[in-house]
Amino acid sequence: MANTRAVFTPYGAIFPAANFPQLTLVNRHPVLGFDAATAETCYFETVAPVGLTGAQTLTVHYMMASATSGKVDFTVAVESVTPGDALDMDAGDSFDAANTITAPTVPATAGYEQVFTCTLTNVDSMAAGDHVRFALLRDATDAVNDTATGDCYVLKAEWRDAV
Amino acid sequence: MAVLPDADRIRIWKGLMRYWSNLRETLAGMLKADLRAAVDAADSWVDANAASYNSALPVTFRTNATQSQKSLLLVAVILMRFNLNLLKQVFGEVD
Repeated sequence: MANTRAVFTPYGAIFPAANFPQLTLVNRHPVLGFDAATAETCYFETVAPVGLTGAQTLTVHYMMASATSGKVDFTVAVESVTPGDALDMDAGDSFDAANTITAPTVPATAGYEQVFTCTLTNVDSMAAGDHVRFALLRDATDAVNDTATGDCYVLKAEWRDAV
Repeated sequence: MAVLPDADRIRIWKGLMRYWSNLRETLAGMLKADLRAAVDAADSWVDANAASYNSALPVTFRTNATQSQKSLLLVAVILMRFNLNLLKQVFGEVD
């Protein structure tokens, strides 16, 4: 059985200094608009909850702005910081290797919602109580796995584990 | 003339995708590579037919207007045919 551990919304996204998705409203839905030509990243932060167990996944809800064919490719990298870790958080990152997905084919109608699930194999030795950061990246420069035109609008992301 | 540098063709390709995304305008049945090929083809066509367009212009305009003015004239005619709203954004008003 899967447990929802957190739901991340566009308003909770944190952005790097450059190459980040645009936070905008689409028909009053807040979305993160990931570009089709530039690889863009955003972050979601939380605390690893007590009872976290089993395989973890991040399920991302998205729709396309204009595309009706092709694929989109995303990766999710995880950074887990245990209090006392030797990481200078105001100057550096320590993300584990990026977790990949099998790039999904986009819906045949722009604006239709779809989900993809990224299995989080690499979680940076996450333990309950850790400060956790997820880096969501559209790998728009991957000419093989990201072929859909236009923006990909991310609506929500749901973090799950398995009991 | 020559065809545009690859970097400029990419700028058009990116710009079109962002423009149509912002309008939520469906771009049916094609991939990024297809759109990129269309940009290349349009640019090549413009390059191949530039002299033909120039010679079609009345001699007074042809000999006195700048390249920029001639190109705007062509764009304006095309937009009037197919995208009046965008032409209004260029001119401010089309009355």
